[in-house]
Amino acid sequence: MIYLPIAEMPVSVLLVLLVSGAVGFVSGLVGVGGGFIMTPALIFLGVPAPVAVATGASQIAATSFSGIMTQTRRKAVDWRMGLLLSIGGVAGSASGVWIFERLLRLGQLDLIISLLYLVLLSGVGFLMLSESYALIRGRTTRGVSILRRPARTVAHTLPFRIAFPRSGLYISVIPPLALGFAIGTLAAIMGIGGGFILIPAMIYLLRMPTNVVVGTSLFQVLIVSSLVVVLQSAATRTVDLVLAALLMLGGVIGAQFGARIGAGLKNEQIRGLLGILLILASLKFLWDLVIPPVEPYVLGGGLW
Amino acid sequence: MKRALAALAFALCCATASAQQPGDMLNDLPAAVAEEQITVSSDYRGSYITVFGVNPDRRGRGDIVVVVRGPSEGAVVMRKRRVFGLWINGDPVEFAQAPSFFAVLSNRPLRQIANAQSIWQYQLDPAASAQLASSVPAGGDPSAYRRALVRLRYAQGLYQSYAGQPRPEQRGGLTMYQGGLFRAVVRLPANAPIARYNADTYLFRDGRLISSQRIPITISRVGIERRIHDLATTASWAYGIMTVLLALFAGWVAALIFRRT
Repeated sequence: MIYLPIAEMPVSVLLVLLVSGAVGFVSGLVGVGGGFIMTPALIFLGVPAPVAVATGASQIAATSFSGIMTQTRRKAVDWRMGLLLSIGGVAGSASGVWIFERLLRLGQLDLIISLLYLVLLSGVGFLMLSESYALIRGRTTRGVSILRRPARTVAHTLPFRIAFPRSGLYISVIPPLALGFAIGTLAAIMGIGGGFILIPAMIYLLRMPTNVVVGTSLFQVLIVSSLVVVLQSAATRTVDLVLAALLMLGGVIGAQFGARIGAGLKNEQIRGLLGILLILASLKFLWDLVIPPVEPYVLGGGLW
Repeated sequence: MKRALAALAFALCCATASAQQPGDMLNDLPAAVAEEQITVSSDYRGSYITVFGVNPDRRGRGDIVVVVRGPSEGAVVMRKRRVFGLWINGDPVEFAQAPSFFAVLSNRPLRQIANAQSIWQYQLDPAASAQLASSVPAGGDPSAYRRALVRLRYAQGLYQSYAGQPRPEQRGGLTMYQGGLFRAVVRLPANAPIARYNADTYLFRDGRLISSQRIPITISRVGIERRIHDLATTASWAYGIMTVLLALFAGWVAALIFRRT
């Protein structure tokens, strides 16, 4: 047992390491950041939602930094695109922290977090499940390569177009800025990195080549999550250093094991399992919102 | 009816406001606490507060009431309401003052020791110390919010009450010994706020307060817990940057190890 100085509660060290290790394992297995599993897992452990969101961001910063070091060696980062996404992300996370603080004062933060997770987990879970089902049935899916035909999207018609040599694109700066802003806002409110929304958006919306997508999104996630940690520390004082250290330790070790075991397994089966897991987790969020509460009154503003 | 309730609530508020200082402490009851300093370190899992004293009456007449109070703070209570099939928090109702921790111990049920007016005057009940600060949503009952606050805090272990001899299986309660000696044990849960507390001891006879004593108890962080908390509150920007640097270091170490193997 260790006492968390900011969350002001004792937690079992072993339990937190096991949970963060398991989340890291799953993220390494499937190749996702894992913030969107870590934050709800912490909430289920009894950590107050504001602390879970703000502290989870520090673990995302650690994971994305170790990822970006690998990607830089492979020259798989489009720095110019990453910079634009990050500028949008910086503004977005600042607005997200502001919204977070307002919701905390209004007593509606838990509701908004639950609703966003409900939509997010069920959406991603359903996508993963249907994708893996299609792969297992042997049907050819609409691959990324087909979609990368020189189709013009809105990104190609808007003004302020500049060249992105690394991605081989000549598009407007507005979509990357807007995309970065949206992801940054979500990241600050939900305690996620946002890579799993950012990556499809970069492929389908910006038409970036897949080989630079992961590295570039990691760059944006790193900048945004680092900023979220600093802003949340200053604005809401909900970052718990002791909890953060435990999450980093468990998450990093778990991710290494996950990545190694994931290399020898069938990808579509793992994704299908994770999809089912996410849908179950979203049902839990839905259940808590829909069933009539046993205790109709709640205490609010526990941290104020 | 609604107007009468509002008037009653107003009267109760005024009563609490006038008796806000449970200050008419006489400080003449011989009592002491075993732990005037409680420290919170990384292995903190809550603590116990032991108050002991002597009933000065030679024949042992009178009733002993011990109250351990945490600092009064604002509190918010919300009632869930159904919107589009979802249960969401309704408008927040604020309390300007509510004890953050409240444990009351007595040698027999409190209502047999003092009348309702004395209980309110000396704030021997957590509900007596909670001051409503905002109006409740339309159709809401102010006293229901007050009761809910007390009930929820009881469930969290932040409010406690013990009457009579403690049961053998639980630690916590008021024990009376021969010669007027008494000992009160209060379980301080880990979620109780870290602050200055007061242990107040009262002697009642025939429903009147005869003597009382107030003893301060300080709960404070020590060691690394204190450093982290001080840094997070006084230098929050530096604290945030430090957390990010720790994260970058952890990521860097992970990437190095990963490359080796």
